[in-house]
Amino acid sequence: MKTIVMPGDVIEQTAERIENTYSENGKLYSKIIGLYDSEKGSLVSLEGIWSPRVGDNVVGIIKSARNAVYEVDLSFFLRSILVGSKYDRHIHKPGDVIEATIKDVEDRKTVVLTAERVLHGGTVLNVKPTKVPRIIGKANTMVKQISDMTRCNIIVGKNGIVWIKGGNVALATAAIRQIEDEAHTSGLTERIKKMLEDGGGSMPEPVQEADKYGNAETPDNDMRRNGPHGSYNKDRNAEVKGYTAASDNTDIEIEK
Amino acid sequence: MASKADRPELIIKGKRLDGRAFNELRPIKIEAGVLKNAAGSARLEWGDNRVLAAVFGPIECQPKHTSDPAKAVIKCKYSMAPFSSIGEHGRTGPNRRAIEISKVTKEAFENVVFLNEYPGSEIDIFIEVLQSDGGTRCAGITAAAVAMANAGIHMKDVMYAVSAGKVGNEMLLDFNMIEDNYSDSDMPMAISPKDNSVLLLQMDGNNSKEELKKGMEMVLEAGKKISKIQRDALLEVYRKAEANAEKGV
Repeated sequence: MKTIVMPGDVIEQTAERIENTYSENGKLYSKIIGLYDSEKGSLVSLEGIWSPRVGDNVVGIIKSARNAVYEVDLSFFLRSILVGSKYDRHIHKPGDVIEATIKDVEDRKTVVLTAERVLHGGTVLNVKPTKVPRIIGKANTMVKQISDMTRCNIIVGKNGIVWIKGGNVALATAAIRQIEDEAHTSGLTERIKKMLEDGGGSMPEPVQEADKYGNAETPDNDMRRNGPHGSYNKDRNAEVKGYTAASDNTDIEIEK
Repeated sequence: MASKADRPELIIKGKRLDGRAFNELRPIKIEAGVLKNAAGSARLEWGDNRVLAAVFGPIECQPKHTSDPAKAVIKCKYSMAPFSSIGEHGRTGPNRRAIEISKVTKEAFENVVFLNEYPGSEIDIFIEVLQSDGGTRCAGITAAAVAMANAGIHMKDVMYAVSAGKVGNEMLLDFNMIEDNYSDSDMPMAISPKDNSVLLLQMDGNNSKEELKKGMEMVLEAGKKISKIQRDALLEVYRKAEANAEKGV
């Protein structure tokens, strides 16, 4: 049974400590507005900021470049840096959008990034970091669904920055905004599917893409280079194939 | 502050000027999440008071020298809009009173927020009084607490604030402007409803021990109602989304 709890609500008298709670006088209290699942014994935050963990995939914007050390804006209060390789200095410029993985959080002061990948062009969207797990979905289902049906290239950073390129960006944005608003409700995947189908009429025809890139055989060269969903895909090649199949407007299959 | 000599009758036939009983609150209405650009926000109507509270953060602390590497810094700005009142209050800009209220609000919140979870950051609280009718610091704290919870900042409790005070020999709850101006004592309190611990206690004028006790009882009793309104306001954000979701299906 899932219930919404407020800061200061008693969670359970006997339970061991769970995330987003604190104990006082032998009682467990909630720290946040969140969904408490009494069966799983978990408290999921509905609002708030992201807390960086090693291995998180993030999307950021290069703020400054000094020698081979780049300062990255993750829209987070801690400083985050990216140390470039010894041999290729100044490869990123301020304003470049990158996708990277967190290597370390030093002394709770500096977030160190690694394995960066520049994202060329596209649109950057800020979402609530607490809604990111729902936007990604179980085993990427949600983001894959949006990506397939709008034919956008979407990368979701755990820090709450989403990068979108190509396809029907407006529809993808609307879908992400709807997930953000209704993240705590059930049956969301179905509703988003319906919403995407309803708005699907405005999908660009494959011909337009061919005009844009001047190549009808590979609709999106950038997508080839970057992979359709960034690092959330374990099998990148399979995804590229999946994308090509789904680009046929009439025959869309969604994995669940 | 007006003098006691020209004080009008504030209690007529056991009722107050606006018809309330001694321990009765003015009607309160809160709406959470009203500002798009803020991390958390709340709009509050408390009698004739209109207050807007917004919370930003935790964000990078600027300027750097004000930051604390071990914990977050809360910065609070209470201000009254130039059109909020007819009297002296309505002047804009930081005056002595606004600075004092900002400070006590900040200190009340420092007791409940888990500051050490956000080292080196700052949390901004903005309280804007659009229309004032007495008791705006309590209204401001009540609205700011909802905004803080709406922003998802880790804290121990959603506090509320309300004032009690003395007129003649009677203790009254929740002064409006005219009662505030002519009262014998005024005691705003902020309470954490979880264990009824006192987070803010100020007192203008004198109260005896018994009067303080009686005032406190009134505040705690009224607090249950205020807490409920706060909770409902916070839940309403999600209920609304749920209703929209059901409509969509």
